[in-house]
Amino acid sequence: MTEKRIDYPVATLEEYGYRETPAYVKKIIKVLKSVLTYLVIFFLYLSIIVIAIQSLNSSRVMSAFDHVSFQWYPNILNEPELMTAIKNTFLVSSIATVVATILGTFFAIGLYSLEKKRRQQWMLMNNVPILNADIVTGFSLMLMFRLLMPLFPNIFGLFTLVMAHLFFTIPYVILNVMPKLKETDPNLMDAALDLGVRPFKAMLKVLVPAIKAGIFAGMLMALTMSIDDFVISYFNTGAGFDNLSVWIYGVIGRRELTPSVYAFSTLLTLFTLVGLVLYETLKNNKKKGKLWLRK
Amino acid sequence: MNKLYRGLARPYQIWLIILVFIPLLAMVLISISNYNASLSLSEVQITFADWDLLFQHQTLVAFKNSLVYASLTTIISFVLGYFVAYQIKQSRIKNKFIILTIIILPMWSNLILRTEGLLNIMEENNILKSIIGFSLLGNIAGTPFAVLFGLVFTYMPFMILPIYTALEKIDISLEEASQDLGVTPFKTFWKVIFPLSLKGVVTGSIMVFLPTMAGFAIPKILSKGNIVLIGNIIDQKFLYTTFNDGSLLAVVILIVILGSLLIITRFDKEGETLL
Amino acid sequence: MVKKVKKILIVLAIALIATFLNACQTGPTLRLLNWGEYLNPEVVDLFEEEYGIRVIQSIADSNELFYSKIKSQTTAYDLVIPSDYMVEKMVDEDMLIELDYELLPNFDNVTYMDGVNQIYASMAATTLTRTGESVDYTDYAVPYFWGTFGIIYNNRVDGLEEALNENGWDVYFDSENYFPTASRGMYDVAQFAYAAALMYLGENPNDYNTTLLNDAKTAIEGANFSEWGTDTLKRNVESDNLDMAFVYTGDYLDRLYIQLDEGRTIDEIQSDFNIYIPETTMVFIDNMVIPYTATNLDAAHKFINFLLNPEIMALNGESVGYAVTTEEAYDIVVSHIDDEDAFYHNWAYANMTYYNKDREGTFYPLTALPNDDIDAINTMIQQIRTE
Repeated sequence: MTEKRIDYPVATLEEYGYRETPAYVKKIIKVLKSVLTYLVIFFLYLSIIVIAIQSLNSSRVMSAFDHVSFQWYPNILNEPELMTAIKNTFLVSSIATVVATILGTFFAIGLYSLEKKRRQQWMLMNNVPILNADIVTGFSLMLMFRLLMPLFPNIFGLFTLVMAHLFFTIPYVILNVMPKLKETDPNLMDAALDLGVRPFKAMLKVLVPAIKAGIFAGMLMALTMSIDDFVISYFNTGAGFDNLSVWIYGVIGRRELTPSVYAFSTLLTLFTLVGLVLYETLKNNKKKGKLWLRK
Repeated sequence: MNKLYRGLARPYQIWLIILVFIPLLAMVLISISNYNASLSLSEVQITFADWDLLFQHQTLVAFKNSLVYASLTTIISFVLGYFVAYQIKQSRIKNKFIILTIIILPMWSNLILRTEGLLNIMEENNILKSIIGFSLLGNIAGTPFAVLFGLVFTYMPFMILPIYTALEKIDISLEEASQDLGVTPFKTFWKVIFPLSLKGVVTGSIMVFLPTMAGFAIPKILSKGNIVLIGNIIDQKFLYTTFNDGSLLAVVILIVILGSLLIITRFDKEGETLL
Repeated sequence: MVKKVKKILIVLAIALIATFLNACQTGPTLRLLNWGEYLNPEVVDLFEEEYGIRVIQSIADSNELFYSKIKSQTTAYDLVIPSDYMVEKMVDEDMLIELDYELLPNFDNVTYMDGVNQIYASMAATTLTRTGESVDYTDYAVPYFWGTFGIIYNNRVDGLEEALNENGWDVYFDSENYFPTASRGMYDVAQFAYAAALMYLGENPNDYNTTLLNDAKTAIEGANFSEWGTDTLKRNVESDNLDMAFVYTGDYLDRLYIQLDEGRTIDEIQSDFNIYIPETTMVFIDNMVIPYTATNLDAAHKFINFLLNPEIMALNGESVGYAVTTEEAYDIVVSHIDDEDAFYHNWAYANMTYYNKDREGTFYPLTALPNDDIDAINTMIQQIRTE
């Protein structure tokens, strides 16, 4: 082969209309971007910062800062009502979150495998618990649970509270898992099944890993909704099993909250943050596992 | 998806029928009756006598307020939340789930404590002012801006989370390919990335819009009781056991929103973006 | 997967055990439905020690929630502590059990405060819608705490204190003629606003008709309230963000005790902000009543009897800060006026100043208006707030 050199004019990027953004402009944009990001995160945490400041205030007067004091932190232990409420909250929310995440994932897979029209109808129903006014949901759940009372007279308490929390947390899990399911390649599951993998195993080994980001987001949201619910919890609890929100609302009706409540909120936030950072550092040190949710 | 898994939906369908459909039906029935707690069941009648409630001044204003605040909150949360979610995706931090937990963490503290904390620093004399000497947000307590601020920064995590989960799945090579082909970064984003993340945007918008539409605690506290939303009225009606009025308003909200969701699904060619 | 299933099973098992333990605590119990932080834990300890009855407390933040909680029958409460108008409503709907005074021997050794008797008399004046009869509410209720309402005010406004003492309600409601620039707050409970407006107009706050409703509306609009709040009102007056608000006297005392804790003196605090209690004012009384769901009547009576003991009632008042309801308990409280302990001295002083047993005046407890009237009042307030 002979090579014939042809002198075509070579177009530059500029001639295509491409213009290099000057380096300083890029830098400014970059800085602006991170400033805005941090600003948004700061505003997300603004109320938490105020709570933290209030928890460190030596004075119980919340509109002015006196001096730094840690007295409200050990004082949490001296508040038996607060302690009980905290314990109840943890118990209810952890059970509700775990169960809602597992069930919600299964349900979402089930709903996804329905025909499109059917699925849309059920997904509309799925939105009702999120949309309905809390007090309406709380009331109607209570009435439904009451129908069980002739069979189980002492049903109201932890059990009904967990059931009520499942009622409004499962929809959040489904809402988060569904978009992920739509992104999965349908051939993937078919392939697995054709290869003789049993359906349940295929679901756990093929499908669940593919949608785990959605599952995790759903779990986070379920926990978030559950840990701070007041109205629905109020109507569906019983036998003195009050969670933290019910207790807080009950106190501000007539009395003054102890600053130890602020201390607890701050601790919850701090512990989670520190825990996350520690986990991250430890994991990086070990250089094991690339993904958090690895099986 | 394989029909094999349809059975998994069955328990949830039963659960939804028992705990959503039946109460919903009951609510519709109650809304056309004169039912309240002090009536015995034999006195309950079907009546539309209380339906003029829907056209009373305060109901209309409350509906309008709810719609306006929910829409504005959703839009602002979308703009800021998308931006943050995109930044997180592009950041070099490996474990992004940690970032997401950090984003949603503020919501684990009690809503009343957080909202009253915000109210505190929106007042003229506040705890932050006593430390740093000036008012960070200015004296905005009781204004619509205060309410909007509170709503946006309370519910935004619900926007960031699903958008991020959608963005996270997008193959980075798509973006590179687009850039290699000489498409400007903005165009790449608009033509490639954004459409692919639309599902997250829709989920996020639903999750911000619905609770703001039906909620009432934040507007009540931050407006100092000067702005009434439909949630306030429903809450009050139920609290004072005027169940028929409360149900009527709740049913109307449900119909309006579920109806509009349904219509969007119908007209959407793909039919997949929403549900 | 198997591991995961195991984990889930373990969690569920723990939960079940916890429920089980919760339900199967041995020994008799007293299920109490109460406001938050409204019962001194020391009193609970003493009671449990003396009678061997465990107290299980549930918390609620409004009378309306008490009502729906009892009505729903989801928990068999033995004792509830609702306010005056809710007791009326509950009696009217046959939700309460009559007390057996044989089981309340301490009752013979105490005298209710004058104000308390006034409240019961005023309550008895309303007849039941069910039977048309009037009721002696002491058949059902024993007073727990009581208190007045007043106008908490900020002394940064010159002359406000004098004006209030001289012209009372007018200063608060007539914003055109008195202190047009001062900010005013109102409790976010429609019936409170309505009742306050009627007292300003010289009417009985428990009357209702459309003329009064319109007059009240005009009065409330005239006050030009900048804030409708609950627990935020007292804090905003304290922190110079609000000038006047209609609140529970107990709200003021809460702030007063907190500031005293900071080492300030009563004089200093009073010159910052204070509360004016009009001669004609609203009062409330929280009562111990036994709902029809009660399963342990014996424990309920024992608890009521226990709290009628003046020493115990005073002890309870020590941590709660509302006004005790018997003269004997009041005497114990004010006997601390010469106490060297600053807390006890201040406590006695505050009670003598703000809850004085010899205070003259007309006390109106709110009455249980018919549902339709309450609904009309709620709507009227919402109209004002959506204009």
